Amino acid sequence: MLSLYSVAYDLISIPLTAIAAHLPAPLSAWLVNTTLLNVLGALVFCAILLGASMINTIMLIWFERKMLGRFMDRRGAMHVGFAGLLQNFADGLKLFRKNTRRPKDADFVGFYAAPTAYMVSSLVMFAILPVSTGWSAGALPLSLLLALVVFSFAPLFIFLSAWSSANKYSLLGGMRSAAQMIAYEVPILLAVVAVVVLSGSFDLTTIVYEQQNYWFWAPLFLALIVFVAGMLAEMERIPFDLPEAEAELVEGWNTEFGGMLFAFFMLADYVRALVGCFLIVLLFLGGWTMPGWVPASATSFPLAGIFWFMLKTYLVFGVFIWIRASLPRVRTDQLLRVGWMRMVPLSLLSIVLAVAVVLTKCLPVIGCVPGIGGG
Amino acid sequence: MSTPETSSRPPNDNPILWVAKPLLTAAKQFRKSLFRPSTIVYPFERLEDPKFREEVAVAAGKPIGIGAVWDNYRGVHALNIDTCISCNLCAFSCPDLCIDMVNVAGGDPKHPKKCPEIDYGKCSYCGFCSDACPEGCLTMTTRYELSVTKRADMVFSPERLYQVYEQKLPMNPIRLERPENEDQILLDPPVCIGCNACARDCPTKCITMLDIVKPTAAPGEKMPKRIWKEPVINDSDCVRCGTCISVCPKECLFWGTRK
Ligand code: SF4
Ligand code: SF4
Ligand code: SF4
Repeated sequence: MLSLYSVAYDLISIPLTAIAAHLPAPLSAWLVNTTLLNVLGALVFCAILLGASMINTIMLIWFERKMLGRFMDRRGAMHVGFAGLLQNFADGLKLFRKNTRRPKDADFVGFYAAPTAYMVSSLVMFAILPVSTGWSAGALPLSLLLALVVFSFAPLFIFLSAWSSANKYSLLGGMRSAAQMIAYEVPILLAVVAVVVLSGSFDLTTIVYEQQNYWFWAPLFLALIVFVAGMLAEMERIPFDLPEAEAELVEGWNTEFGGMLFAFFMLADYVRALVGCFLIVLLFLGGWTMPGWVPASATSFPLAGIFWFMLKTYLVFGVFIWIRASLPRVRTDQLLRVGWMRMVPLSLLSIVLAVAVVLTKCLPVIGCVPGIGGG
Repeated sequence: MSTPETSSRPPNDNPILWVAKPLLTAAKQFRKSLFRPSTIVYPFERLEDPKFREEVAVAAGKPIGIGAVWDNYRGVHALNIDTCISCNLCAFSCPDLCIDMVNVAGGDPKHPKKCPEIDYGKCSYCGFCSDACPEGCLTMTTRYELSVTKRADMVFSPERLYQVYEQKLPMNPIRLERPENEDQILLDPPVCIGCNACARDCPTKCITMLDIVKPTAAPGEKMPKRIWKEPVINDSDCVRCGTCISVCPKECLFWGTRK
């Protein structure tokens, strides 16, 4: 089976073996040993993954700019590259060239470490989430749990960076971020529990294969709604972008950051948006599998899994953009009230529904099939 | 739950609609501007380009409503140096004092021809100057692009304004009507010394110096030292520039109401 790791391993081992063939024996044995090849293969694997995810993230920003423009009856970026495709690369280059300044009172370690940690913790998600068969770092039996843990690191780093930049607006934004995290982490986890009940596994690959017959959004519609709302809050996108509410808090928790540190936050925001869409596709929309009525030719070409997965991801993100273009920002108290008083009961209800589906092995439309409910 | 905002909500309002209605509105707008958003790709598409306007009108199925506004546009000036009479009226009327009268080629060396030079760093595009111009040689065009990299480039010499004129851009047609009972130039005859300065400097050459009868001096009375001529102004040619008033050494010309 083709996997990203085997591709990376081949990329490094084939040239090294070819070189080793021309070298004297002790040197070639040192060069072509499994430990070294595995380490180098892992590095190449990381490089490929990082490159692919960065390009996707930047394309996501382009997608958002263009689509948001259409919602607002304008065009978005137009001139750098075809239809502004390269605009974000140019913007990134500009931010890269700027120097970063640390406010006098800001804490040195926190100011530089927090953005980096935020970025890294967001990027690690790409190694955990399987995009297609064999495209994650490895078979992790608890990958869903690990993903959620890593995903919920971010507010901690936001709070750290807000606190260490010694600015009241930053601190307010950080506080809001922490409050938001606590309010939305709980319903998200409860909604995920419903998925786990239905699939009987914490492994994302297994969860996707459980959805080969039917996608989980239909029986777990309530959980999907809760999860999407929670993800919006986790990504801090409109209407839940209180932590950086620019009208009240300048730029919220990233007010004091400029240049590359700001670029880190900006990129990490979109990395998290992408990862959130990945999670929604994996948990509720069948991952890289397609329903049976799709002709086999559409699902069997090379990299078909990735193609369908990314298509679904971008569609989900399109819905997020649609929401962003339509809804105003909510107030903190409204946000917390919706989180605690609506989302938590809804997600509990969806767990009950999931248990009912598993026990009766029946679905409203599909009917009663033995395969339903984790076998 | 009786928090303030829930109680002040209209009773028939449904929270689901709070989300659904804006989503629907946004979706409608998205569908409308998916292929042709209202904004134009500016440096490549221009509203003043007749071909582009035609295209937009065809796509929209109706003429686009920018025509009337566009004809009225007050942009960079065009100056026809050949018909300018150097009357100075434009510089007088400018509220921002951004017009300088500078020498241009032509005219005799002693009294060179002067034409307006406009500093667009100060100009407020009010259009007073082109309203005031009696010859219609200073007009406002529809040109709106004026970005320069040096401040000095903001100053348009008469020659540069003439280049704008030569581009034959659409002109703003607005022109002030001269009022019915305009003030005219009047003469205080006993003070005049017949020096010819007014007639020489009148841009429209509407002043003629006519001989007057030299009075016979009474015994013992000293005759004033002067030339026995007096200016007569052809009122229909006068553009009311006031040059004669400002050059008169004896201050014997003044604005007066038509009798
Ligand atoms: S448009 Fe107005 S401000 Fe500009 S030069 Fe003419 S009179 Fe002066
Ligand atoms: S008002 Fe007209 S004619 Fe008089 S100086 Fe100005 S441009 Fe020339
Ligand atoms: S300039 Fe004055 S003094 Fe000289 S001729 Fe004219 S009106 Fe008379």
